Amino acid sequence: MFLLLAVIGLAFDLGRVYIARNEAQVFVDAASMAAAQQVDGTAAGLDRAQGAVSRLPNRWNFGNEAFQGVEVEFGTDEEHWDARPKDASAVHFVRVTAPDNHLDILFLRAVGGPQSLTVPAQAVAATNPVRLAE
Amino acid sequence: MSSEAFRSHGRAGSRKGHAMLELAISAGVMVTCLAGTFQFGYAFYVYNQLVTAVGNGARYAAQRTYRAATPEDIERGKAAIRNMVVYGDAQASNDAAPVVVGLKPGQVQVEWVGKAGEVPLAVDVSIRGYTVDAIFKEVTFDGKPFAECPFVGGYAPGEREP
Repeated sequence: MFLLLAVIGLAFDLGRVYIARNEAQVFVDAASMAAAQQVDGTAAGLDRAQGAVSRLPNRWNFGNEAFQGVEVEFGTDEEHWDARPKDASAVHFVRVTAPDNHLDILFLRAVGGPQSLTVPAQAVAATNPVRLAE
Repeated sequence: MSSEAFRSHGRAGSRKGHAMLELAISAGVMVTCLAGTFQFGYAFYVYNQLVTAVGNGARYAAQRTYRAATPEDIERGKAAIRNMVVYGDAQASNDAAPVVVGLKPGQVQVEWVGKAGEVPLAVDVSIRGYTVDAIFKEVTFDGKPFAECPFVGGYAPGEREP
């Protein structure tokens, strides 16, 4: 019975984890491009970037759940990030992170696995021209 | 045969019968569980491939040049996006193999977001009516997976699709 639950858990729970990770990556890729598109060297552009990310309709967990707690950060390079940079004109990159995708584990928990797994995703986009940087 | 030997032989036969019955019941449960596991596992695997394909297609659509000299050009642009989703290649040859078994361009829906005659705001890509044959049961995906990507490509309203 233990072995059976483990096999079912591997197929069912890990399958869902891989799908969630993939959905989250598709979302952050699109979100980082949406945000980068709005950056125009002004503080208002940074606000519009935040808004563009929150309006994206992409969802996860088989397309049923909206992404929560999405973080949008701006950088002059791909090393240093700030959610509210002082100098908007120096922003050349946008980083979007979807950190709060908690997936309930249904079968593996019965054989000692975790109760839930977090499936974060992150993407960076350049602003001019708009393209994915990583 | 003495009466003692007869009773002993009867108990052994009874135990053998119980074991057969237990095996039949437990095998039924196990086969059902394993069949269900295979079915879910395979459907998940295919769905994951579809998520990747739709994401790649949406990103390609968002970055390509939008040409709209005629409605036919818009449709040809959509056909290239569908090919990218299904074959991983916008100009796929006739004998190209789909990235997901059985997926056809007609099962990929592409919609430009925004007003006609203006720069598109975004592109929506989704799967319509794709059925996974998981042997024990068929699963149909309709409207999922879905991906929207902001349009960041070139805008050429007077150009023809090559």
